[in-house]
Amino acid sequence: MSASKCLRCLVRPSPTTLPVSVPQHVPKNIAPFSTTGAKAGQNPKPAPSVPKNPNALQPYRSGKKMTLSKFKKNKVIDRGKAPLPGERKAWRKRISLSNDNALPVPWLTQMRPGDMADSGNVAKVFSLPAGLQDQLRACEAFKPTQSWNMFRTPSVLVRNETVDVMGRMQQAAGENKTARLVLTGDKFTGKSLMLLQAMAHAYLNEWIVIHVPDAQELTTASTEYAPIPGTDPVQYMQPNYVLKLIQNFRKANEAVLSKTYTATAHPELPQNITVNTPLLNLCQTAKEPEGAWVVFRALWNELMAKNVPRPPILFTLDGLAHIMKMSDYRSPSFELIHSHDLAFVRHFTELLAGNTSFPGGGAVIAATSRSNAPRVPSMELVLAQREAEQAPRGAAEVPQPDPFFRGYDKRVESVLRSVDVVRVNGASKPEARSLMEYWAASGLLRDTVDEKLVTEKWALGGNGVLGEMERAALMTMRI
Amino acid sequence: MVFILGVNFHAQKLVKKALESFYALGPQTSARILAKYCIHPRAKMGSLQPKTVTALTAELSTMTIENDARKIIQDNIRRLRDMGAYRGRRHAMGLPVRGQRTRNQIQTARKLNKIERKG
Repeated sequence: MSASKCLRCLVRPSPTTLPVSVPQHVPKNIAPFSTTGAKAGQNPKPAPSVPKNPNALQPYRSGKKMTLSKFKKNKVIDRGKAPLPGERKAWRKRISLSNDNALPVPWLTQMRPGDMADSGNVAKVFSLPAGLQDQLRACEAFKPTQSWNMFRTPSVLVRNETVDVMGRMQQAAGENKTARLVLTGDKFTGKSLMLLQAMAHAYLNEWIVIHVPDAQELTTASTEYAPIPGTDPVQYMQPNYVLKLIQNFRKANEAVLSKTYTATAHPELPQNITVNTPLLNLCQTAKEPEGAWVVFRALWNELMAKNVPRPPILFTLDGLAHIMKMSDYRSPSFELIHSHDLAFVRHFTELLAGNTSFPGGGAVIAATSRSNAPRVPSMELVLAQREAEQAPRGAAEVPQPDPFFRGYDKRVESVLRSVDVVRVNGASKPEARSLMEYWAASGLLRDTVDEKLVTEKWALGGNGVLGEMERAALMTMRI
Repeated sequence: MVFILGVNFHAQKLVKKALESFYALGPQTSARILAKYCIHPRAKMGSLQPKTVTALTAELSTMTIENDARKIIQDNIRRLRDMGAYRGRRHAMGLPVRGQRTRNQIQTARKLNKIERKG
């Protein structure tokens, strides 16, 4: 082993050793904390000497002491200010629709009323106008799981399925009929986003929109319920949920509701509503959960009133499986209540079954979910059957029910027997390319969008499943 | 603050938990009471109507809970003791009743096995 300093250095100090010597640097490279107990044990630090307070009382007695209380008192640890009730949830559920760090996309155009029904616009990206954003936000169309917070302005891609759905809505409204659709498809393919597009289309074309953002809130026994007197078999109202829905509905549809007038008087309401009052005023009478159900019934009767001009209505619901099973509510005789016996849900299912229809035409659209959905064998079977029946003749075999399975539900089958099933698949390559160009223009995809990249991400995303493509392209940490 | 059967509950307390705080009223009975008055399982005391609170008090006052239920248990133990049964004697001594060994671990028996049984 060589000496760290040679003899000559001792005689004449060299400039390299003088100002900075190596051993001085060594302690600086060590992290000021240790992550493992073992490491900490290797290099024990001397305990910091705390200056003793001369005024502090010295223990007057050492040795064993009698413990007066049974248990040791826990130390009070100051953990800072705890969040207020509901604060954590609000943070978790917050929706931010813009990101100032993302680049504005110069070629992006704002969506106009007819844009999404035009097949020439397939594989184009449109931004949502500010007023529309407010309406969609008011009816809770945006979800916290969707990645709106990455882009400058919320924008949507027009796909083949979009044009198909909007075309059906337009056609039904033109013929004063009610289109009855169920959107289904694999996970992350954009079923909820298709609902959002349908709502955007409806708002832009001055339809009235009612939206149930999450069907599970209705049936998981998390909101108040009460039997409706005089119904046989007994139906149940959900006043608190309906109150929230009416308030959102009023905020989102303010412009249309102020131009739509009541057809009959409503003396049963707390404020007397006469004929030819705007529906907006009717909605404003709902202030307390107590009277909310009466207001909702009056509102529903007004929306369904015949022989008066009514705009087309869109009724959408996300998470269809939740309203196709027994709910978690119990009747006074302790039996589970079927979801279709909840009065609000029944309005939706009656429309979906085609037993009732909107007087001015419109659409009822339900979306299934793949991430939070109970298994409903009847629904899966009927949707598969409907899909096979709608396929070109002989293209698919109609699935048959399992004769040895008892869990089928007749009520569910009767509701879904005649709906149109729209399968939302992965995007095509031109659609994927257009979307990726939008990502690149926003500065989020830092690559040249060429055939190779599009094909790579399209394949990584399970043949164009948009959510998976987003994961593969935007959510990865590549710097 | 909501009063049920003379007990004061905080407005944030779950109705289900409040009901289950009464002696001899468990999950089964509380679920049935909730269903009977159409209260959803996640309801809090603060959200109850005054009418429902009165109805709950009336319902609970007809049930064998709290001291009535304790009395039944105590009577059973006393009967065993009075007839001189082994179980009665073991209860009176605060020892395990059903043949457990007593070398160690008889805290539960010490706590519960009494003539005037509380819990």
